[in-house]
Amino acid sequence: MSGEQFEGAGLRTRTGAGIRFEHVNVTYPNGYQGLRDVSLTIEPGEMVAVVGLSGAGKSTLVRTINGLVPITSGEITVGDVSDGGPADGAAAGATYRLSALRGAAQRRLRSEVGMVFQSFNLARRTTVLNNVLVGRLHHTPTWRSLLGAWRADDVELAMQALERVEIVQKAYSNASELSGGQQQRVAIARTLAQQPRVILADEPVASLDPPTSHVVMRDLQRINADLGITVVVNLHFLDLARRYGQRMIGLRAGEVVYDGPAADADESTLEEIYGRSLTAEDVLDAPPAVLE
Amino acid sequence: MSAVAAPGASAARLPGAGARPSRPRRWPARVVVLAVLVAITAWSWVAVDVDLAVIAHNFSNAQNTLVQLFQPDYSFFGETLQPLLETIQMAVIGTAVGCAVSLPLSFLASRATNPNGPLLGFVRTVMNVVRSIPDLLYASIFVTVVGTGALSGVLSLFLFNLGIMVKLISEALDGVDRGGQEAALASGATWLQADRAAMLPEVAPQYVSQTIYVLELNIRASTVIGLVGAGGLGMLIDRVRTFYQYHYLSLVILEILVLVLLLELLSSAVRKRLVR
Repeated sequence: MSGEQFEGAGLRTRTGAGIRFEHVNVTYPNGYQGLRDVSLTIEPGEMVAVVGLSGAGKSTLVRTINGLVPITSGEITVGDVSDGGPADGAAAGATYRLSALRGAAQRRLRSEVGMVFQSFNLARRTTVLNNVLVGRLHHTPTWRSLLGAWRADDVELAMQALERVEIVQKAYSNASELSGGQQQRVAIARTLAQQPRVILADEPVASLDPPTSHVVMRDLQRINADLGITVVVNLHFLDLARRYGQRMIGLRAGEVVYDGPAADADESTLEEIYGRSLTAEDVLDAPPAVLE
Repeated sequence: MSAVAAPGASAARLPGAGARPSRPRRWPARVVVLAVLVAITAWSWVAVDVDLAVIAHNFSNAQNTLVQLFQPDYSFFGETLQPLLETIQMAVIGTAVGCAVSLPLSFLASRATNPNGPLLGFVRTVMNVVRSIPDLLYASIFVTVVGTGALSGVLSLFLFNLGIMVKLISEALDGVDRGGQEAALASGATWLQADRAAMLPEVAPQYVSQTIYVLELNIRASTVIGLVGAGGLGMLIDRVRTFYQYHYLSLVILEILVLVLLLELLSSAVRKRLVR
């Protein structure tokens, strides 16, 4: 699909936001340390795959970016992360510092950061369109959202988002009637309706079969390439991370143990991330290239 | 037969399977529970002095009453129409207002939809008090406050409904999958917006179905609360009963029976369509 059919439409490209972690620590109330002294910078428009074993902190890392998981110490900046301030002529959006972000300011940040979940997180007993319109809630007055009286512009934006993930014909179906892959694409459309500068995807394909996983990953890749939205995606499967990520961040026990081009990650770096030799369960498609 | 023997063969146990767990002994606990239940029942029986012989002894007194009860006087029908209509009207108003007010209260009373701890505790405490008072007691209170008639009936039904609906719907909300709400909050929506957009659709079928159920309860309840003067068929029942007009009474009972049956048919038909 080419980007041109969206030009001038509601889903127009906005400059992707950068994300900077500075000495970020996350300790959960039960004492478990999710992240240890994480420092890294994600450039605007990058597509980053985060890999690691379960419990390594992938989910924590992604969920700190929109404040779903509060950071214990350090600082996360979302927006303009260049050293010398915004470049000349760049239409810089807002920049957020997450350590002190609460209430309305936090909601404003969240409206610029879309999120895709492992279990799709749709309201199953309402229509696909209503689910996508959830992405417009931040820009909708309370009385309109209580009555379900959506603005025509927002409905149009939601329809365009559904067209983008090629599922617009299901707009008036109930979400529960869709297959897992279709539900995840609705969830992606919901983030697109936010007109986000960043999309976070927390294990977006872990509940899907291999062919569907590739469809969803290609959707995310296209959104990154065509709309310039920064994408951070958690993946368990290493082959998907290498294939769809430009850059790979490896986490182990809450620490960054690898950060570099996804294509450069070979078997030894992956074993370093996983702390053990790789098995067929670490890759989605057989025969796994990493095992050769 | 292959080397992997059929279940039951003595040599069929897989090597390295480990010891099988011994069957846990559950019967002592069951015997104790059963004994306690029997003891409580026996104690209650003796305490209230249940004497089955009384039934046989007094049966001759009941004979005349029963004969009248089995001969409903249909000529009385005209006089029952107005109270019958009032019963239905009381039930409808009580249901409509009670269920409408219960919807926002249910969201305030569920841990899943109300992040404000103190407010949650306050609403739950108040609703527990509202629910613990029986409808008949509400009716007697309101009859003394606003006088006999339909208004006391409607007020009693309203509070009766509020207690039931808030309990049922807030518990339904507690059990709903909160994924949609999480997504809405992650997109910058307020709690109110997220609850409306992602949680309300999930409990909407239950809400409608419980509303119909509550209407059914109200028809029954409104006949009972009438006995203490809160309007409707109950007041009529009280009148004819006082004057021992059992052939009138049996007609009223027959009408209630038909009404409740019709409503039950309607409600089960609607609910069957909803729960899918």
